[in-house]
Amino acid sequence: MGRTSGLLYRIRGGVHPSDSKEPSAGKEIRRIEAPATVTIPMRQHIGAPCVPRVGKGDEVLVGTVIGDSEAFVSAPIHSSVSGKVARVAPQPHPAGGEVLAVIIENDGSYRRDPNLEPPGPWEDMEPERIREAVRAAGIVGLGGAAFPTHVKLSPPGEYPIDTVILNGAECEPFLTSDYRLLLEEPDSVLEGIRIIMRAVGARRGIVAIEDNKPAAIKAMESSARGSGIEVASLRTRYPQGAEKVLIANLLRREVPSGGLPMHVGVVVNNVGTAHAIAQYFSQGMPLVERVVTVTGSVVREPSNLLVPLGTSFAHAVEACGGFTEPPGKVIMGGPMMGLAQHTMEVPVIKGTSGILALSREETGYSVPAEPVCIRCGRCVDVCPMGLIPTYLGSYAHNEKWDLLHRLHIEDCIECGCCTYTCPTKNPLVQLIKTGKAELARRKQQADRREAERREAVGESGEAGKDE
Amino acid sequence: MAGELLTNVSPHLHKKDETIARAMKDVLIALAPAAIWALVVFGFNVVLILAVSCIAAAIAEVVMRKIMGRKITLKDYSAMVTAVLFAFLLPPTTPLWVVAIGSFIAIAVFKELFGGLGKNVVNPAITARLLLWITPLSVYTTKFVRPFYWKDSGFFTPIATSFSKGVTTFQTLAGNSVDVVAAATPMSLLKSGRWGVDVITGPTPIGATWTNSAGRPTLGSLFLGLKSGCIGEVSVLLLLLGGLYLIWRGTIDWRIPTGIIGSFLLLNLIFWNQPLYNLFAGGLFLGAFFMATDWVTSPVTRRGKWIYAVGIGLTVFLIRLLHYRPEGVAIAIFMWNFGTLLIDRYIAQPKFGEVGVGVFNKLPILPEPAPAPAKKEA
Repeated sequence: MGRTSGLLYRIRGGVHPSDSKEPSAGKEIRRIEAPATVTIPMRQHIGAPCVPRVGKGDEVLVGTVIGDSEAFVSAPIHSSVSGKVARVAPQPHPAGGEVLAVIIENDGSYRRDPNLEPPGPWEDMEPERIREAVRAAGIVGLGGAAFPTHVKLSPPGEYPIDTVILNGAECEPFLTSDYRLLLEEPDSVLEGIRIIMRAVGARRGIVAIEDNKPAAIKAMESSARGSGIEVASLRTRYPQGAEKVLIANLLRREVPSGGLPMHVGVVVNNVGTAHAIAQYFSQGMPLVERVVTVTGSVVREPSNLLVPLGTSFAHAVEACGGFTEPPGKVIMGGPMMGLAQHTMEVPVIKGTSGILALSREETGYSVPAEPVCIRCGRCVDVCPMGLIPTYLGSYAHNEKWDLLHRLHIEDCIECGCCTYTCPTKNPLVQLIKTGKAELARRKQQADRREAERREAVGESGEAGKDE
Repeated sequence: MAGELLTNVSPHLHKKDETIARAMKDVLIALAPAAIWALVVFGFNVVLILAVSCIAAAIAEVVMRKIMGRKITLKDYSAMVTAVLFAFLLPPTTPLWVVAIGSFIAIAVFKELFGGLGKNVVNPAITARLLLWITPLSVYTTKFVRPFYWKDSGFFTPIATSFSKGVTTFQTLAGNSVDVVAAATPMSLLKSGRWGVDVITGPTPIGATWTNSAGRPTLGSLFLGLKSGCIGEVSVLLLLLGGLYLIWRGTIDWRIPTGIIGSFLLLNLIFWNQPLYNLFAGGLFLGAFFMATDWVTSPVTRRGKWIYAVGIGLTVFLIRLLHYRPEGVAIAIFMWNFGTLLIDRYIAQPKFGEVGVGVFNKLPILPEPAPAPAKKEA
């Protein structure tokens, strides 16, 4: 209804790379066929990986559960095609390494699992039932992080949620999947945010879109008229779509260090996630396909595709006319935070918002062997979290773990602004990621040692006296 | 099918025009107007001094990098910037061999021995200048000439300070003596603490083209650069333009010059210590826009930059209030270069989502002792 503006409240930091969205922005979402075999990894979300529920030779249909987990922070995985399970084996995963995957021979008929049906009207459904439905649909955050959505929709009672924000900022250059969804399916997105609002008991709903997508803002506004949902236009600046930055911009609330949006009464979801929820409630089909932007200078026909999960990157690129020249780098996600792939045989998973292929020229730059800093302070200026990336980088390089913790390395959102702007091309994000991983490992180790010690001392009844 | 794919950690985009070389070229461009003006005012000497300084710096860089087995980095122009800034701090009659020694030391000792660009603690140009000042070589770097002195001796007749039997005179490069009179710089008028011109200088002429009825240099003369002084500091107007260009280009941070000039002017206004004369007479603008803003030796945080800048402004003010050192600006910046180390380590940066922003970082002053090894019970 109303239109809030993010122009007045400017975040500290951020960068403004060329958005490079033109090649695919004008392309309608096009559904593609799955290849002859699909590879569906059992880890497609943050949290516990799934355990395969099918074995070699089993018949599966579209929407059949093929993996699930008992853990709360997890989401089931469904088959995106109908056919026969060829094998269950570790396969290359787009997030690196090999992960157990179910490989299905596609029979091409796409028969739908007869057990699937819509969970019923959500308008008078209990929030608990909505969450169950969202989990059953295997829905996770489709912006890229892939955090199980039902967990996000279950904030503990002491944190009442008053606002739901749908993140349509899509601040990553090149990507246009959210933009196309907003443009083509505004009603479905709107339905999604209302389901989420009911699930968390929020009064206010905001769809936030960067102002470099005027068509999407217009489509959303005309669709939202009279519904009470606000459409907010944000100033185009990376990382506008980072959860914490987005909340600060729209509501002037700062998520505390180490906290989550729910600590300031907010739940943030991606527009794709809202669309997926609405789809499940209207058609009963769980998350088995998603919109993927296939783009980059070496892709012949950059497009927005509706891709069955488990389709290989190579197949998706083939559907866009293939490469014009051998790419120098293939990235899952956007250029600022995406993951570089070493093979084209990795499958599209729930978190794949885009496949970006860059030419050899674009990827060529020299990385210094040792971090060189000329202390220009650019990274400090652009850090949206108010950190000092150059010090984090050099402390990580010099293994000063204690200092990293004191300088709040945990608050880094790995947006990449520091490395983007660094005149010496210092790989700061890489160093910080290493530092974070090492700190986490050390903490885990210390916790384990502490637990062991307590166990040992606890039997003699001295546990309470320590420290 | 895809061939070799490069895999590295995000981000996969890099800002294209953001390099050291671009920034250094910007600084050279910003310094050009002041250099050309110096040429007009002080004659062909200026070209020779700049050239010798650059050559000596380049030699120092190549020699030191070769010795230490590092990559030669002349292409980033940082040595050139140091060389030009060093030359800017010298009187226009400095003998060329003194220029060469100073410039060589600036690069070889104060930059490369510390580990090269990014690792140096102090500003090489300023430190080399201060080093000349405390050595016997200082006799060659303390004599100034009037603007347009070359009208008598000729534009293309370079002159240099010479020293024999305790007397400094001016000579041509060939060693013939020249009839050029040393001038009192506007700063040295203040130095004596007495404001009456005749008392201080006696027969020495005032180094300014325009003087008022009391015989003092006019503010216009100081601002436009019709005054004597070091090569780079003469025209406040052109330095200001160059500095604004650098701020516009995003090469330097506006906080540092603003903080220095603002605090200095404010303090002089409060104590009514010739505020505008003090502002335009010495090397404050050169220091504030081009020396104190050196990336390497200034703090990286916004809050740190303000502290550093106001600290320099205060120090220059105190030096000039208590004891008119012509090198006041250089000394202040040199001091605060060390302050930078402390500021960056201990002054906290406001972080996102932090309640109650502290002033200090909770960093240990000394490395914390390692935890005592657990005693094994036998």
